Amino acid sequence: MHRRFRPLLLTSTALLTASVSALGVASPTQGQTLNSYGMPGAIDTPTAVAPPEGELSATVSYSDYATRTTISFQPVPRLTGALRYSKIDGLDPNRDTLSDRSFDVQFQLLNETQGWQPSVAIGLRDFMGTGVYSGEYLVATKTVTPRLRVSGGLGWGRLAGQWRRTDYNDEGGDFNVGDWFSGDVKPFASVEWQASDSLSVLAEYSYDDYDPEVDDPSKERPDGKFNLGVNYRIGDTYQIGAYTIGGNVFGIKGSVALNARKSAYPSGLEPAPAPVRPRPAPNADPDGWSGAWSADPTAQPAIQTALGDALSGEGQVLESMALSANRAEVRIRNNRYSQQAEAIGRTARLMTRALPPSVETFVITSMEKGVPTSSVVLRRSDIERLENTASAHIAQQAQIIDADPRVAGLVYSPGIYPKFTWNLRPYASLGLWDPDEPWRYEAGLQASATYEIRPGLILSGTVRQRAFGSLDQKGPGDLTPDEYEALGTDIDPDTGIPRVRSDSRMYTGNTSPTVPELTLAWYAKPTETTYTRVTAGLLERAFGGVSAEVLWKPVNSRLALGAEINRVRKRDFRDAFSFRDYEVTSGHLSAYYDFGNGIWGQVDVGKYLAGDKGATLALNREFENGWRVGAWATKTDMSAEDFGEGSFDKGVSISIPVTWAIGTPTKRRVGGQIRSIARDGGVRLRVKDRLYETVRESHTSNLYDGWGKFWR
Amino acid sequence: MTRLKRNAAAFGAAALMLAACGSAGQEDQGSLYGQLRQIAAPAVARATGQADQAAAPEAPLSAEEMAARALAANPAPLILVGLESSGSMQVMAMVGQNGNMRTYMTPNEQALIIRSGMLTGTKGLGHDLSVAEVEGTAALIRARRAGQATRTNRYIGGDGVERPLPMNCTVALGEGKNFSFAGSGWNATQVVETCQGGGMEVQNSYLVTASGQIPVSRQWIGPDLGYVTIQTIRP
Repeated sequence: MHRRFRPLLLTSTALLTASVSALGVASPTQGQTLNSYGMPGAIDTPTAVAPPEGELSATVSYSDYATRTTISFQPVPRLTGALRYSKIDGLDPNRDTLSDRSFDVQFQLLNETQGWQPSVAIGLRDFMGTGVYSGEYLVATKTVTPRLRVSGGLGWGRLAGQWRRTDYNDEGGDFNVGDWFSGDVKPFASVEWQASDSLSVLAEYSYDDYDPEVDDPSKERPDGKFNLGVNYRIGDTYQIGAYTIGGNVFGIKGSVALNARKSAYPSGLEPAPAPVRPRPAPNADPDGWSGAWSADPTAQPAIQTALGDALSGEGQVLESMALSANRAEVRIRNNRYSQQAEAIGRTARLMTRALPPSVETFVITSMEKGVPTSSVVLRRSDIERLENTASAHIAQQAQIIDADPRVAGLVYSPGIYPKFTWNLRPYASLGLWDPDEPWRYEAGLQASATYEIRPGLILSGTVRQRAFGSLDQKGPGDLTPDEYEALGTDIDPDTGIPRVRSDSRMYTGNTSPTVPELTLAWYAKPTETTYTRVTAGLLERAFGGVSAEVLWKPVNSRLALGAEINRVRKRDFRDAFSFRDYEVTSGHLSAYYDFGNGIWGQVDVGKYLAGDKGATLALNREFENGWRVGAWATKTDMSAEDFGEGSFDKGVSISIPVTWAIGTPTKRRVGGQIRSIARDGGVRLRVKDRLYETVRESHTSNLYDGWGKFWR
Repeated sequence: MTRLKRNAAAFGAAALMLAACGSAGQEDQGSLYGQLRQIAAPAVARATGQADQAAAPEAPLSAEEMAARALAANPAPLILVGLESSGSMQVMAMVGQNGNMRTYMTPNEQALIIRSGMLTGTKGLGHDLSVAEVEGTAALIRARRAGQATRTNRYIGGDGVERPLPMNCTVALGEGKNFSFAGSGWNATQVVETCQGGGMEVQNSYLVTASGQIPVSRQWIGPDLGYVTIQTIRP
């Protein structure tokens, strides 16, 4: 019935990597120095140096000309991407300070070799948006001696001293393809001399004359084209530096870098699992081997209770179990291990300790939201034979199959349903990139409760009480909250566009308790490969209603297809249980594809909350340990003028498993989305626990990524 | 019927005992701050000197004293393990045996996996040796024969992927030794296994008896944890 799955194993990077580079053996002394734009470079100019794959760095540089805060990431070995928030005084005619977001990419065309060949990279700086730093370059870098690195290249735009004049009344945010590599071209060059292992001295020649910045009469123009600087590295993590632009303007910078592939405790600090208990010889336990025990009605309850208790010591819940003389299926909910494969490996070993010898087939089914998402089928003799060998051996013997939604003889563990859980914890929320203030925050106390009525039927809610913060209530545009409320409409009178996110700050700054969400969700699995979700209630801070979703995702498939439809109404700004007038039906068709090598994408096509129609494209780089950095963009039929600043919705998301940082096992993650200003075009409902990410953790691709921890 | 019930109950009891060793089950309920504090506690204690105060009343025991206490308290096979990088010395008791593979654990559930005296894995140390495939060198070492062989150690990298570190090893013989530890007398030959791989050279040394037992050894775990010494208290 179930086809045994093999092909993916052969392409899974996690199981076939034959390299010891991650063991921290011998790394070059000269790392990449980040420039004032937070990209590989000297001071203002770039170098053709690619940071290690998985490197995420944050850089702040400050000079009289600007404060630049940059996050850069290396999703694949040759590509560097960056997202920047800059504050430039006196440039924006509408405000005192221009707050500018910019995006950079750099691609390594050639890698340096032992002989004459330098590394060569091509890059686009500030290629979207208002483009105040807009410039393109081709750069080559050569390590002349282990301590001396020289770079030279050709620059366009700012790098050639040609500022592409910004139109501040334009919405910006689009690709400025027509400008790329246009206008004058000028050379640039830089030298980095490593004075000691941690200190380097930098010199560069740059044509950037800071034309836009010196529009402000209080700013000095650089005295020359030579810039000098020093950079001091503290380990692989920190860099601090000081520099001068043209000899008369001074700046400082600092950066911190994390690498997805470097963890404080790679193998984790969790206690060792209970070892396999080999079965006694048949003549030592003839009843156990004969299977006669299975006729005893008290056998399964006793075994199920004991196994359930042992699993709960491992942070897992034995939801149900089907037991016969030679086969046992256990359905587990993993609450502890960030890698599902580790939870399965530990469950398999506990089963060898709890089950009579005649049980040869172990089926370990992963449960999410009361729904079975995948089954791993193992032979007990393989577990006994392969315990603590290379994890690829047991991977070859394990079958990963679609979990059967209706298994005969499944007995629920007593006391699992209904289940009530709650927690009380502090919360903090951050609002970034407000044009008037770079960040705002709010902190307070949050109580959450979940009542699982029966498998898949979950009532959950959250109440928040703000304690303090700078995140206050604000109307859209220049309106005060009272003025906006007095308008009595959710439609922007100028454009006729419904306000679905542009007034999101009307929901903040509430000093009385708020209810961010209160929902009843029903998850089900009608067939082996389809999953459904219906969520009703207060779905998110701004909308309430009903959301229904269906997902087709065979366990071994790279492709998944989904559909979602929502009927929602806008919530009141203050009162938790009342609504405003705006009501809409939105919905999407989605396709998800796992390209392999840790890259997966998603396309959603449909109708968004403001009634606009269009598509969202998202690409994620996900490392085997669960580190994920993604980017998305949404384009709808809403015109750039109606959308406003930024032209269309786009952003970056980061999600880091906490286990990676602290070593102790937990499924918790930290991260968030960095997006452009909240606008009304291309907005999706923020309903929680959509199906794809709920089921994929225990599907073949992710299981294999984490399979190295099967015996951990 | 009662026999069957007893069997089921016995299996149950075995699993239950394991559960009792585990940590409390409140998953993802504790705050991040709590987890961080727990991790930082040893460092904080060191910095504030509280660790010294707490440790001060108990004078450090000698290896023989630790062995004697463990022999009296625990009937299982026992080893005395010293982790050189941390300077710690602990008694570990066998908690499971699968063929010639033994799992030894400390009370706080860190484990060593040992196959016929050869260290083939660690668990719970943060930079664990996932598995060492040592069939080639183990055959030479246990036969007290000089020669060349390979071994492959596997480690989980920071990205969670298990990667091999293949090593080429030379096994050489040293002199014979008579010694006693924890009440047992041993007559053994020193065997040294020198391995190169991944730009490193490491040296494992073993005292091997005529029957191929390894009562004492000093073996390399990995680049971060360094060497561990293992002495047999009760075979």
